Amino acid sequence: MLEVNNLAVAFGSIEPLSSVSFSLKRGEILGIVGESGSGKSLTALSNIGLLPLQGGRITKGSINFDGQELTTLAEKDYRKLRGGRIGLITQNPMTSLDPLQKIGSQLDSVIKLHLGFTKSQARERTIELLISLRIPDARFICDRYPHQMSGGMKQRIVIAMALAADPDLLIADEPTTALDVTVQAQIIMLLKDLVKERDLALILITHDMSVVAQTCDNVVVMYAGRAIEQGSVQYIFHDAKHPYTQALIRCIPHGLAKGQKLTGIRGTVPTVKNYPKGCAFHPRCDRAEAICSQVQPALIRKSNAVVACHILGESA
Amino acid sequence: MIEHKKKPSLSQRLASLSVIRAFGSKLGKVSGGMMILLVLVAIFAPWIAPFDYASQNLLNANVAPSWPHLLGTDEFGRDVLSRLIYGARTSLSVSATAIVISISAGMTLGAAAGYFGGTFERVVMTVVDLTWSFPDILIALIFVAILGPGLTSTMFAIAIAYLAQFTRLTRAQIVRLKNETFIEATINLGAKPSHILLRHLLPNALAPVIVVGMLAIGDGIVLEATLGFFGLGAQPPTPSWGAMMSSGTAQLFLSPWVIIFPGVVVAITVISVNLFGDELIRALDIRERIKED
Amino acid sequence: MNNLLEVRDLTKRFESGGGIFSKARSMHAVNGVSFNVRKGSIVGVVGESGCGKSTLARLILRLIEPSSGQLSFNGNDLMANNAAQMRALRKQMQMVFQDPYSCIDPRYTVAQAISEPFQIHGLSKNTDLDKEVAELLLKVGMNPALADSYPHQLSGGQKQRVSIARALALNPSLLVLDEPTASLDVSVQAQIISLLEKLRDELDLTYLFISHDLSLVEYFCDEILVMYLGKVVEHLPNTSTPAQHPYTRTLLDSTFEPDPDQRREIIALEGEVPSPFNLPPGCSFAARCQHSTSKCQTNVPQLEVKGSHLVACHHPLAAI
Repeated sequence: MLEVNNLAVAFGSIEPLSSVSFSLKRGEILGIVGESGSGKSLTALSNIGLLPLQGGRITKGSINFDGQELTTLAEKDYRKLRGGRIGLITQNPMTSLDPLQKIGSQLDSVIKLHLGFTKSQARERTIELLISLRIPDARFICDRYPHQMSGGMKQRIVIAMALAADPDLLIADEPTTALDVTVQAQIIMLLKDLVKERDLALILITHDMSVVAQTCDNVVVMYAGRAIEQGSVQYIFHDAKHPYTQALIRCIPHGLAKGQKLTGIRGTVPTVKNYPKGCAFHPRCDRAEAICSQVQPALIRKSNAVVACHILGESA
Repeated sequence: MIEHKKKPSLSQRLASLSVIRAFGSKLGKVSGGMMILLVLVAIFAPWIAPFDYASQNLLNANVAPSWPHLLGTDEFGRDVLSRLIYGARTSLSVSATAIVISISAGMTLGAAAGYFGGTFERVVMTVVDLTWSFPDILIALIFVAILGPGLTSTMFAIAIAYLAQFTRLTRAQIVRLKNETFIEATINLGAKPSHILLRHLLPNALAPVIVVGMLAIGDGIVLEATLGFFGLGAQPPTPSWGAMMSSGTAQLFLSPWVIIFPGVVVAITVISVNLFGDELIRALDIRERIKED
Repeated sequence: MNNLLEVRDLTKRFESGGGIFSKARSMHAVNGVSFNVRKGSIVGVVGESGCGKSTLARLILRLIEPSSGQLSFNGNDLMANNAAQMRALRKQMQMVFQDPYSCIDPRYTVAQAISEPFQIHGLSKNTDLDKEVAELLLKVGMNPALADSYPHQLSGGQKQRVSIARALALNPSLLVLDEPTASLDVSVQAQIISLLEKLRDELDLTYLFISHDLSLVEYFCDEILVMYLGKVVEHLPNTSTPAQHPYTRTLLDSTFEPDPDQRREIIALEGEVPSPFNLPPGCSFAARCQHSTSKCQTNVPQLEVKGSHLVACHHPLAAI
């Protein structure tokens, strides 16, 4: 349903994102993982045509959404798509909600805009939607303002907004980072159920490998603006070849016995302005050789996975 | 794992100074250059001025701009250029001294109020706000009534007029900084309140206060000129831009240069100071912090 | 003397409001917390936002004045100390803060920030500060050449290393770590945790580790205190003891397994955390607890030994 091919993004002269490709089917969850500055959120923004707002532009590649080419789409048509067939869930719910409007009328207006419903039809659908998101007391919630609700509830409302116009594709950018663990678990389970119930395609952008393990079908691992490895979630966790992917999994303290060393990755995550030459990971890589600092490794297909590395690590 | 960073050289350190960076733009160069020029003129007035500012020559009164009186002479035949040059001394020094007094008092009050809080803060801020509710000129008149007309009254008037601004600004900075983690961390190292205030809070609060002070010098020059114009400031024969304009009104149509040139100089000075202040705000990147007040 | 730190009935109430239009309300941020920290151990405090864990850290260091309770550090009654004695004692108890971005004065270089503790305690004259700074930087795994950089030139992980170095400058015995890795990237979090492990072995330190991340606490700590709404609801003496409090169990269940082959349904916790201004009369967790009975609604459970360890619950869960 969604096919992204060799996407590159530039802000002025810096290129924070290049050669990113992936595809996504209905009912599938694609995880995009990476640390800060890896370009994972930019990937999402470019999919919904919000890059120009941030001063960036797509310089290469294509985005094909259900047979429609998005990179050349006019802003007018994009507006119809956003919030219509593509829903977005952001990290901070407060940025997506109008603090001065009641929840109900915010949802109503999205529904009216995209589906052309009347006022009463829209409210009916709003209530239905809230109930389907397991929000107790839906009618009562409609008359509340965003600041009167907890973080978890606000995030549910944002999900409701994204779902209001019955989209086919949902993009969730770090939807649970700002939330407590128990609430994070609720929201992630909810997203998983929604994908199943509504046959949605979901792109889940996160830095949390455990969330990825629990939810995604396929995973793209990003580092310094490039997809460095991608494959099925089983492949990524059990069979990953790229030293960065392997190291990232070793950074999870979960279930690590006492005495087992938590290693981490030496050095620091590069910022957009100083992506290293060659393979961007080479200054932090234990296996780096001379070629790694010179030549950008190409993406190589390995059975059902893709990896960009000169020296493939042994499987973890 | 960490790239080696060299000690910054002297020129690099100079370049990182905000004042130097304010000169970076064209506007900064022009306005900053103008200010430096004015200060130099004020300092070297005795060497630059072609004539004595006080020497009268009634035979030469009201001469239009011409050689050797480039900007003409006034009703007593005094050289307008020379009086302007000496006037820079009065205007700049009175305004700058007043603002320095105002900043010192304002920062002390504001820092104490912000740091200790409570009733002390409420009393200080109420009193300070009260001074703000009187027009500058009224405060000046009160001082003139008490101390008599002259530069001392002018100075106090300017200082009091801007006291509230500096107190409020400093207090806002201190209150904001007090909640920063590095203050908590330093307290936890066992530092005394005096250490926290003098080493961390005040130095971090200084930049915005300096910039606002700089802008206030411009306003101070106008206030000094206003008081001089009304005869409440500098007393003759001390040259002051305001007093010069005042005496010029009598011969406005006969010899307009006597009033025009001081006016132009005041305008240029104030515009330069304000433009440079704006550049400094940009260089220090503290626009947000100034608005906080 | 085996206990480095003893905390008894520590309580902090925050008063709020009390203006012309509102009634004064008081909030129990920390409510009767007691525990000991043995010399050389790592005690973890875990809980969700608003449970009072960060306030607890600041109360122990008296950065916030406790409303009541006793604190004893190395046999010293902290509550009896005056301001000057407290300042002197701070040499021995240091803290590393969550936000590496604001924990160093932006006007200070790394070297100035690390030498500041020596100056505060009047030790700078008898100390070779340059040498100390270089040694401390090496100790926390940083290049001493970075001594002249300013905080904004460093990455989040490097800044956190600098604050650790600063905290270690005066050879403390207790280090309170308030979510030191919460705002760092995962790969850097792992670096900092292994640095803290190394430092503890080298310098014989004791840690009080505050975190919201249960799996990190389980990995890093010897003992775990679970907090909910200002109270300790369970005190796990070691990480292999199974949890008995339903809230701890929920926390464990909400933690995702980083293994795609071990996917499981998570039973979502119902309801919301009650407002700390308006605590329910019984157990604060009762409204959200599947096992709650009428007793839970009315009687506050005390933290007492049930089975193998301290639990504050009327109906502790049996070990699975």
